[in-house]
Amino acid sequence: MSNVAVFDQNAGAGVLAESPLSHVSGRKGGSSPGVILREKAFMGYLTLRGNAADAAFCEGVEQVLGMPLPTAPMALHQNTQKGSSILWISPDEWLILLPGGTEYETELALRAELSGHFAVVNVSGGLTLLTVTGPDARHLLHKSTGYDVHPRNFPVGKGVTTTFAKATAIIRRPSETTWELVVRRSFADYCYRWLVDASREFGLDAEI
Amino acid sequence: MSQPNRLNQGGSIDRSKPLDFTFNGLRYSGYEGDTLASALLANGVDIVNRSFKYSRPRGIVASGAAEPNAIVQLGSTEAAQVPNVRATQQALYQGLSARSTNGWPNVNHDAMGLLGKLGGPMMGPGFYYKTFMAPASMWMTYEKFIRKAAGLGRAPQEKDPDIYDHYNHHCDLLIIGAGPAGLMAALTAARSGARVIICDEQETFGGSLLETADLLDGKPAQQWLANALVQLSDCGDVLMLPRTTANGYHDHNFVTLHERRTEHLADTAPEAHQSRSRMHHVRAGQVILATGSQERPVVYANNDVPGNLLCSAVSCYIRRYAVVPGQKLVVTTATDIGYQAALDWLDAGREVVAVVDCRANPDGDRVKQARQKGIRIITGSAVFEAKGSKRVTAARIAAVDLDAFTLTGQLEELACDTIASSGGFSPVVHLSAHTGARPVWNEEALGFVPGRVKGMIPAGGADAIYSLPAVLESGLQAAQQALQSCGYAAVSVDLPKASQRIESKSAALFQVPHLKPTSRAPKQFVDLQNDVTAAGIELATREGFESIEHVKRYTALGFGTDQGKLGNINGMAIAARILGQTIPETGTTVFRPNYTGITFGAIAGRHCGELFDPERYTALHAWHLKRGAKFEDVGQWKRPWYFPVGNETMHEAVARECQAVREKVGILDASTLGKIDIQGADAREFLGRVYTNKWAQLGLNKCRYGLMCKDDGMVMDDGVTTCLGDNHFLMTTTTGGAAAILDWLELWHQTEWPELEVYFNSVTDHWATMTITGPRARDLLSEVTDIDLSKDSFKFMECREGMVAGVPARVYRISFTGELTYEINVQANYAMHVWNALFEHESTYGLTPYGTETMHVLRAEKGFIIVGQDTDGSVTPEDLGMQWCVGYDKPFSWIGKRALSRPDTRRKDRKQLVGLLPTDPSVVLQEGAQIVFDPKQSIPMKMKGHVTSSYYSPTLGQGFALALVMGGAERMGEKVYMPMADGRVHEAEIVSPIFLDPKGERQNV
Repeated sequence: MSNVAVFDQNAGAGVLAESPLSHVSGRKGGSSPGVILREKAFMGYLTLRGNAADAAFCEGVEQVLGMPLPTAPMALHQNTQKGSSILWISPDEWLILLPGGTEYETELALRAELSGHFAVVNVSGGLTLLTVTGPDARHLLHKSTGYDVHPRNFPVGKGVTTTFAKATAIIRRPSETTWELVVRRSFADYCYRWLVDASREFGLDAEI
Repeated sequence: MSQPNRLNQGGSIDRSKPLDFTFNGLRYSGYEGDTLASALLANGVDIVNRSFKYSRPRGIVASGAAEPNAIVQLGSTEAAQVPNVRATQQALYQGLSARSTNGWPNVNHDAMGLLGKLGGPMMGPGFYYKTFMAPASMWMTYEKFIRKAAGLGRAPQEKDPDIYDHYNHHCDLLIIGAGPAGLMAALTAARSGARVIICDEQETFGGSLLETADLLDGKPAQQWLANALVQLSDCGDVLMLPRTTANGYHDHNFVTLHERRTEHLADTAPEAHQSRSRMHHVRAGQVILATGSQERPVVYANNDVPGNLLCSAVSCYIRRYAVVPGQKLVVTTATDIGYQAALDWLDAGREVVAVVDCRANPDGDRVKQARQKGIRIITGSAVFEAKGSKRVTAARIAAVDLDAFTLTGQLEELACDTIASSGGFSPVVHLSAHTGARPVWNEEALGFVPGRVKGMIPAGGADAIYSLPAVLESGLQAAQQALQSCGYAAVSVDLPKASQRIESKSAALFQVPHLKPTSRAPKQFVDLQNDVTAAGIELATREGFESIEHVKRYTALGFGTDQGKLGNINGMAIAARILGQTIPETGTTVFRPNYTGITFGAIAGRHCGELFDPERYTALHAWHLKRGAKFEDVGQWKRPWYFPVGNETMHEAVARECQAVREKVGILDASTLGKIDIQGADAREFLGRVYTNKWAQLGLNKCRYGLMCKDDGMVMDDGVTTCLGDNHFLMTTTTGGAAAILDWLELWHQTEWPELEVYFNSVTDHWATMTITGPRARDLLSEVTDIDLSKDSFKFMECREGMVAGVPARVYRISFTGELTYEINVQANYAMHVWNALFEHESTYGLTPYGTETMHVLRAEKGFIIVGQDTDGSVTPEDLGMQWCVGYDKPFSWIGKRALSRPDTRRKDRKQLVGLLPTDPSVVLQEGAQIVFDPKQSIPMKMKGHVTSSYYSPTLGQGFALALVMGGAERMGEKVYMPMADGRVHEAEIVSPIFLDPKGERQNV
């Protein structure tokens, strides 16, 4: 019996994929919107579990991803060349974001490189990514989460799993001007509606 | 209309911007910068309300949050109605429309007023308790009338057109109150670069600086104030929130601030998408409590007649709003503040009859000033009774011996229309008390100061510091201390120079004795809003309510929106005097949030309407909507309940869907089932410990049903788990249990068995699950898959990987209907594609979408339980007849095993799962119906069980049910009875819970 079942879950061409927000229609918010909202659909997502105190594990991950494993709480590492990133979720858990379609080969590569007790789980169908930019992006977050998103507490290169309205979301800050929300598929519609509602006073440009 | 009490100059109102408003249907005008209260006083409106219990006419007493009488109903339309607005806190705007909350037929002629006068002595404290106690059945009748007569406004009958929202903040310093102490603290903190929030409940920042005559740096204090505000607004990390009340101070320096954003502009928010008010949720490192102090009125007879005001309110109305609320003033005071009111009154060109000072030799600067101006000063005396009914007509004064609590010497009656009183100041300690910290008595200041709260620093008046230079100094010191606690370096800030005034020492004046004993004297009000009198407090103590908490509850002292702002300290002092103890021995009651009333809208924020609770959707939700599904809430999920065709009723739709599954093929969106990916060398071992049954031998790609117990041996979840690899399993849980079961697994792993190498990850949202079930399921699936579906190569309770409609899929052959079933799992982004591909064959196979209702009927026909419906946390596996699913001989123990050996769980007469067939086949029993064995016994009958699931089965052609019945397993064939509320008694026979295909032949084809 093989130890773990791994299979390529990507469908070939000709299969229409639908993102969790495929049913909503965006709205334009006039000439100077305070909030600009976009969905980056169909990214690849892998949950990685393992022991950060195990040097071989850390090296193996870095080898495959081309960036070091974040071991500081809430640290976000990015590999801009590959368009991928890895976020510390808990002391033994990370979320890897990949260009869509590369999650299977990445999982295989990780499994080839790593040994001992670890886990890799493809969760690409269960998540989607929203980017929030614009001059009022941070105001919008203040209205949505109890987490402190002030730059002093939330510098670039950080990400947290926290409350978002009455759901949960991962909030990431990959650059000075961009905030990202990773939301669960089943909560995506709720989160989107919340964002649209909370952005109204600022003017919203949402192309979803 | 003219404003008879308005001065031609002075004040900070804008005379170039007149505003019209109505009060109780009459039109008035005021100016921008007015509050509703100042505008009413300007227009000479004496009576603004009727009192809560005695219906006595009442006028404006205070100028801020403490106002007990001028509580109005706001709004010109039904939808815009707002109850419980203090006129003293409501900015005037064009078209404002307000009404008194009490008074029928109107405030000037009130029918209940008679009670206040004639029935007064009969309506003591506890009046309602005593009078309406019996008969209990009449309470509902009494209550209606009492509520109508009492009442403090009403809620709108129409939907609120406004929105309200929330905003989260974190800051180093939260400064509550923007008077001199708060502003000085903010100016200091701003220099440090700390994140600062400063809020104030008034329309503009400044607090006492707005009306003070004092100079700062040699210029009017108002000029310093303007500069300070400019400085603060230039600081990036200082957030200034006027019109914002800190309404609740919660644990760990979490403070809620209620910001009124448009309430000063119009009835409803003028701009679309603009929230009318906003609740700020602030998590502060340090809180500086600069809430100032509240002047105490003096308690004397008829001190509630319109025209009785606080001294500070008189000064405030004159200096800030250019309104003199009367013609002839008598001041009764225990402090120098009384002289300030007299001086301001005189400056406004009106007559000061006398200042009556209870102190023997007051010698402060303002006393001298008053004397110089020729104001009559009567020392060692106090006003002991006001004359008049709808407006003060005279003040009766006498020399007073406060220690002996008696009047001495000559009585004198002074004609006047206004009596201003000042018994001293009480620090506003309410917020600190919200945290549970009891206020502490300060004998020097004759007031309670805030108790110690970690991370909170009181400053200025809130800490019983009253002279302006000391207040500014304390604000600076508080900020320095707070900054240090937050890790900021000390900053140097210059204090403005303020002149130190000589003040005479205040006396402790709470209640003025009367000629008659308190119980016989005209009413001496302590709490005006709740109509609590000194006599009432006396009566309460006489009747044995000696704890101040009991006195409060018996009399209603400091109840409701009032929260004891004016009356509490006086009430405690009176109770202390009667009980012969000190005020600190008597103690205070607890102040609770909210400091002032706030609208429910602000508490709810945007968590209302469609955003009230998240609605979770599956990847196929859009299809269900298009197909006309009716939805059922399962947890937060929206699951299709049934899919009506044409005008079908639910009953007809479910019958059709059931028939389609039993005869052809149906399809269910089962994506909501909880799915947990389990990896690790000890995954199998872990499963053996959390499930009741065995997992050691489960082979690759084999599925097994598992039952999970809590440690008390009661069933908590069930589901099918599949072996995907020796170290890899996929567990499914109930829809509602998904999150809780993941937590449960983590709990046991992290706390009990951390040595086991296993990881759990939720994949509920990742996989979409489509269940096709029915005799034609194989034929349908074979149209779109390359998986070998033949009976012998893909057996029941097995799993296969393959392509379905061009999409990589895992297909599980398990069954919750008893029919041949395939559960197709694909990455959720492809779910719609696969679902549509299946529906291309809809007509060929009679493919029918079905919902949760049909699913329930089909599973119940097979006796499959639903955890949470057929179980309730008191049901063991054996109660369910599922002994086959319990492995007592597993080598390692498992959760619940030990509890299942307790005598109670081994009792023979436990409630056990059975089937019920009603004798009348058309009857569908009520779920929850109680079961008795003897329908003829007298009430109360002995209840022997209850119906857990009940449906009409189109397949059986009759109603059927699952039930938990005491000793049911041994009662097959016996009759049981279900007496209904309407008098009917249903009869049913106990049968096996498996109604259909007991050998499972239909799913094994």
